[in-house]
Amino acid sequence: MSVTLVSVLFVAAGLTALGAFIAAWKRELTAALTGLPVMFAGAGVAFVGVARFGAVSGAPALGQEVAVLLAIAALAAVGLGVGLAGRESSR
Amino acid sequence: MDSLHAIGFYVSAALAGVGGILLAFLHGHWHRALALGAVGLGAAGIYASLSAGFAAVVVLVCYTGCALLVARPDYRTVEPGAAGLWRQIGGVGAALLLVVLAYAAFRGRFAHATFYGGPLNSVSVARLLFARDALATEAVAGVVLVALVGAAIAWRRERPRDEREARR
Repeated sequence: MSVTLVSVLFVAAGLTALGAFIAAWKRELTAALTGLPVMFAGAGVAFVGVARFGAVSGAPALGQEVAVLLAIAALAAVGLGVGLAGRESSR
Repeated sequence: MDSLHAIGFYVSAALAGVGGILLAFLHGHWHRALALGAVGLGAAGIYASLSAGFAAVVVLVCYTGCALLVARPDYRTVEPGAAGLWRQIGGVGAALLLVVLAYAAFRGRFAHATFYGGPLNSVSVARLLFARDALATEAVAGVVLVALVGAAIAWRRERPRDEREARR
């Protein structure tokens, strides 16, 4: 049993598509918002996988850096979305 | 990569996938928060098995924060009233996205190399974050600042109205 770049990219593709499905399928706006961190997790997995297996030149930790930034952006997006939802629903 | 890391990778990928599926189909914000936590745990496990320990710690913290935000007791829902047809079109679009991404992953010709930066690798990531790509870090910090200020304003404006309603 081994892990290759192709298997990492398959997992990343699955997570990204699953996040897109959640964002499109959920009727509630705040529930659809939770698809965003899943999509970002998929993108982060792809970046980390390329940094682990495919970085031949440049900075090999660049993918990890992008994954960190994506996770922070996901937290910010969910915080803003939940806050705005609380504001909108009480009008 | 040894078999222990490979097992960790596949188990974490399964956990993230199952968490995502539960997130799509479960009702109730408590259940969705737990599913989002499972996605974060799975993503952190994937990162850790790919020797990106620092990113795993950050992802775990951020996704726990996301789950706590969704699990708040005063969580409110917004119903946009989207038609069922558009939701179905979105679902089909997500399936098409999966097919295209999987095809690109399967057919792509990638240069194979191996990089192992240690268990946590925080020094090189921090060097990239704060020296080489400081502008990107500051841009994300700006996004986080705007999001926090917006969320704080939204919550603070609503609280007095809620208290008035509670008194009635």
